[in-house]
Amino acid sequence: MWHLLPRQVESLWTLFTSPVVWALHFLACYVGAAIYCEKPGILGADFTTLRVAIAIITVLSLAMIVVATLLAWRQWGFGTEDPPHDDATRRGRKLFQGYATLLLSGLSFVAVIFTAMPALFITECLR
Amino acid sequence: MSDETASHHDKAAEEAQMRAVWATPGGWRYWTSVNNTQVGLWYGSAAFAFMLFAGLLALVVRAQLAVPENDLISANLYNQAFTLHGTVMMFLFAVPIFEAVAIFLLPSMLGARELPFPRLGAFGFWSFFIGGVFVCGSIFFGAAPSAGWFMYPPLATSEQAGIGADIWLLGLSFIEVASIAAAVELIVGIMKCRAPGMRVNLMPLFAWYLLIVAGMILFAFPPLIAGDLLFEMQRMFDWPFFDHTRGGDPLLWQHLFWIFGHPEVYIIFLPAIALLAMIIPTFAGRPIVGYSWIVLAAVGTGFLSFGLWVHHMFATGLPQISLAFFSAASTAVAIPTGVQIFVFIATMLAGRVVFSTPMLFAIGGLAIFVMGGLTGVMVALAPFDWQAHDTYFIVAHLHYVLIGGMLFPVFAGLYYYYPLIGGKHMSDRVGRFAFWMMFSGLNITFFPMHIAGLRGMPRRVYTYPADIGWDWLNLVSTMGAAVIGIGMFAVVVDVTLHRRNAPRGERNPWNAGTLEWLNEPEENWGVRSIPRIESRYPLWDQKTLAQEVNAGEWYLADAREGRRETLVTSVLDAEPEQVLRVGGTSYVTIVSAVTLGTVFVALTFKWWIVSLAAGIAFLCAVLWWLWTGTGEIPEKEEKDIGRGLSLPIYVSGVKSAGWWAMFITMTGDGTAFASLVFGYFFFWTIHADFTGGLAGPGMFWPLAALALFALSWGATLAAREFNRRGGIAYARILLLSGALLTLAASAAGLAGPWAHAMDPTAHVYPAIVWILVIWVAVHGALGFIMQLYCLARSLAGRLTARHDMDLHNVTLYWHFMLVTAGVTFIVVGLFPEAI
Amino acid sequence: MAVGDAHPLQHLTGDNLSVQRPCRAAVTLLIAVALGACSGRQSALDPAGEEASQVAQLFWVMTLGGALIWAGVIALALYASRWKPHAVSDKAAGRLILWAGAVFPVTVLTALLTYGLWLMPSLRPFAQQQAASLTIDITGNQFWWHVVYRLPDGSEVVSANELRLPVGQRVEFALRSADMIHSFWIPPLGGKMDMIPGRTNRLSLMANRTGTFRGQCAEFCGTSHAWMALPTVVMPADQFEAWLIARKAPSPGLVADDAGARLFLGQKCGSCHRVQGIAAEGKAGPDLSHVGSRLSLGAGLLENDIENMARFVSHSGFLKPGSQMPFYLTLSETERSDLSRWLKGLQ
Repeated sequence: MWHLLPRQVESLWTLFTSPVVWALHFLACYVGAAIYCEKPGILGADFTTLRVAIAIITVLSLAMIVVATLLAWRQWGFGTEDPPHDDATRRGRKLFQGYATLLLSGLSFVAVIFTAMPALFITECLR
Repeated sequence: MSDETASHHDKAAEEAQMRAVWATPGGWRYWTSVNNTQVGLWYGSAAFAFMLFAGLLALVVRAQLAVPENDLISANLYNQAFTLHGTVMMFLFAVPIFEAVAIFLLPSMLGARELPFPRLGAFGFWSFFIGGVFVCGSIFFGAAPSAGWFMYPPLATSEQAGIGADIWLLGLSFIEVASIAAAVELIVGIMKCRAPGMRVNLMPLFAWYLLIVAGMILFAFPPLIAGDLLFEMQRMFDWPFFDHTRGGDPLLWQHLFWIFGHPEVYIIFLPAIALLAMIIPTFAGRPIVGYSWIVLAAVGTGFLSFGLWVHHMFATGLPQISLAFFSAASTAVAIPTGVQIFVFIATMLAGRVVFSTPMLFAIGGLAIFVMGGLTGVMVALAPFDWQAHDTYFIVAHLHYVLIGGMLFPVFAGLYYYYPLIGGKHMSDRVGRFAFWMMFSGLNITFFPMHIAGLRGMPRRVYTYPADIGWDWLNLVSTMGAAVIGIGMFAVVVDVTLHRRNAPRGERNPWNAGTLEWLNEPEENWGVRSIPRIESRYPLWDQKTLAQEVNAGEWYLADAREGRRETLVTSVLDAEPEQVLRVGGTSYVTIVSAVTLGTVFVALTFKWWIVSLAAGIAFLCAVLWWLWTGTGEIPEKEEKDIGRGLSLPIYVSGVKSAGWWAMFITMTGDGTAFASLVFGYFFFWTIHADFTGGLAGPGMFWPLAALALFALSWGATLAAREFNRRGGIAYARILLLSGALLTLAASAAGLAGPWAHAMDPTAHVYPAIVWILVIWVAVHGALGFIMQLYCLARSLAGRLTARHDMDLHNVTLYWHFMLVTAGVTFIVVGLFPEAI
Repeated sequence: MAVGDAHPLQHLTGDNLSVQRPCRAAVTLLIAVALGACSGRQSALDPAGEEASQVAQLFWVMTLGGALIWAGVIALALYASRWKPHAVSDKAAGRLILWAGAVFPVTVLTALLTYGLWLMPSLRPFAQQQAASLTIDITGNQFWWHVVYRLPDGSEVVSANELRLPVGQRVEFALRSADMIHSFWIPPLGGKMDMIPGRTNRLSLMANRTGTFRGQCAEFCGTSHAWMALPTVVMPADQFEAWLIARKAPSPGLVADDAGARLFLGQKCGSCHRVQGIAAEGKAGPDLSHVGSRLSLGAGLLENDIENMARFVSHSGFLKPGSQMPFYLTLSETERSDLSRWLKGLQ
């Protein structure tokens, strides 16, 4: 299954993948709801549609975070070694990056779920 | 034997020369120094002084509130005092103190000689200092801002706000420039100037935090700068961005302010926690437990903090679903914060803790901060915030957070790092006394405020009636404030008077493990030689390191060419890449800061001519700075840095520090631009017809401008390629034609709203179109100057086929320019047609 | 054995006797202070309305939980830094971060967020199609409140600087501002809502006990922000009806041919203030039709009596810095007394 994942990338930026997904998800939810509530005519749908849309992007975002998590897990050597990953080697650095990315993916996963929770409870553009 | 003496002699000569190259200028020229040690110290002292000033204002505020219906000071003066207290604490203490600590500590912590742009750092300091004195001084003329530190329009745009509002806007815009300068400096410093071998998994945690914080500044400060621009356009020229009678909306300011304002809280908090992350391992006598968890916490907080801003606007009547998203993110941000705290507890649990004065402040700060954090979670829930918002409950909450999460850690840092400043310790006895005074005073002052707030006391009231049950709570608070004052006074005495005569202590008195403790306070060079690092705590794990470094046995131990130099290494693994020559002592930083300061001060008083003249002077100063101080072609290609390693001195493109600086600056610039575009669409969402029935700029001129900008971009790009391949003449022609195209493009951009007689004072639609177009035109003007600058450099022989750093950086600018122009002209030209 | 047991016990009780009384007294005092600390006519923790009750409950839940968590974290920090007998292993410390630093907060916060989100839509239910039985328009001004009661029959009653509400009925507010941003807030009834120029914000409140409360502007709105209070009386529904009916007509105390009335018109007070029944239709200042019957003067600033009325007329800008009302220092002592007597008579 692992050969399905993309090739390993050597970059500091991979660390930020999952939080960026969270940020985009958050932005989409906020902007979508804001435009829907300010200009109900433009999207031409009822609030349920908005909630369904939020559900869909939430599932997509979570899926992306899961992929990022798998990549991070691989970079972490599938957890074969324990932290602190402070070896002065390229391998030590990669294990650290993998582990930190994995932790961040966990946080982003929870944060995306938190961001989506309002759609469960709030059923109209109440203000 | 004689060999050894000879080499010893060599080393001594080497050391003497190095000392001469890095020497601090004497006499009044001392102030032209740009070395990070001096600049960091000035920065810190100035920020500390501003803090004391704001503290005195707080005492005035508390004295006025001690008893009900007090008439100690007038309502007007009270409003100035609390506004200035908040403004100064936030903008002139909390943010700058971290810049100060970072500038002071980072180079030696990373094993670098200097930050990559020392003159930029000095320029930032002078900008901050001039702006700060200007803002603080206003209260002595009764002209201080008085609309609260978040300056909500319409109060702050009204006549009632007076010149104070202009002082706030212009003074602080100037200081924001300094913050962004610091961010550029710190990001490049942390990414590119670490000691060889200091891979990202070995970086001191302080550097990790600072990297994240500097990144946050790039996305947090520009929206405020954009907001300031709109605000000042309304105050000076009556452009109605926040005036609802002409289509504006006061809420836009609240959005822009808090998109800045909430991340700012974390910009303040994270560096202070970073200090704890350095202090706690030292006193636990072991490496931190959960290094990766800290990285998670720092990065996670950095991101989540941008999803919180509307929790300052829970009572503005936005749709509940919007509030709920922000409520959710505000709750989520508690998770990384919790992780952070437990990393510290776990480290102490797994070590043997020496309970020193810095630790006292650290643990005390933790106790206070956790309480502020918990009330923070409470107000994250919108229903509770509807009650607590804008009351003394919030005042209590924010002081618990800021004092526990920032002031106490900074004091812990002061006691911990003080030996690095002059080699002397601060007094433990005074420290403990100050701690207990401040700790108890803080709780006496702010705990009752929770209750006062819940009993209905709104913030920012200059007095209150006697019969509501707020009187004894306020009296207690005032007494507590006096106790804090005593503690603070003790520290001030300790820092300024007592320590002068104290004996010189040992180096690394706490037996810490990180590189900054190699620093010798007398020396300006950071480290004698730059070592290769193999551990997170090199002084613990590499036993002979200190001795080798000081003996000059490591890299770059000489300054034979008489230049200040530091190493540039790769981002992930810190492999040496380049010897970077950094700027030395110079007037240019002060001249630039003074002229730019004059521009802002003159604008405040509407002295247009002075402002224009100062602006031109500033431009000249910056060009002189760049021309003489950057992109210099070295006398040789490579330098031998010892241990058989030879590195290039000149690199251009992605590998050069200048390219990164441009990239980072333009990211911040792009964020400010994005905020203006956000404004455009904000007005679109709140109005049925956001054009107010007025004519737009049409399609022709915007698209013509876009086409011309694209051509100019192409010319610049082609010039770089021709130049690289030796086609110098073609490159020059392309640069010249690019410059002409830029002029035409900017003119075409302005022609759109001009030709359609759009009056920016009539309605917000023409105003926002004008501001976007002007933004592009001003950037066009900068692009024009850059193209001509490269042409001049080429003609002067300072830009060649091999040495083309300037052209690379300008091309990078033009990439951003093209995006800016593209977005602007598509939005203003096509969007009105599309809907 | 029994003796051995009794001995320390006796010793303990004996020892405690001297300590216990002050101790018990202290606890009693503490409870009294704690309860006293929450009460008050402007207190969010002394609820008299639906929303405030639910939020107060939320507050107590969070405070209790928060206090426990705080104590736990601090105890752990002190244990780790001072009291622990020996250092724990890195692995155990790592587990602490995972469970106490990550898993525990996530669990608690999820529960809390659910509570908060569940509460949000139910706190402020609005009637469908504006069919509320009573709507009150309130407009914030520097530094006073313009209040208009919109009755179901389409009629309206205009008042200022005081709010009357029927107990047990849901009331909807339309909140606007005439100048700066203000914030409408009556803590015992519910949370606040900003009044923003150019926008109309809605709020729905239901009082569930009668009493006199104090609302106050919660958003800094200028020099005298501190003196922008809104005395609020929650009355039984029938009394409220009667009160409204009385306010529909001019004040029975209105004597048009009075020295005070002549002064009022002569000094052009009517160009800013409205008094039902005479030629005073001003809108820049508070409606004075029934000013004599209000609980306070100057939006909660002063007790409503003739003397204060006279003070306010001549010195409003001293009493309320930044107020738009001009000084009337030129009035003679008799004129001031005539005018304030007449105004106080507008019951």
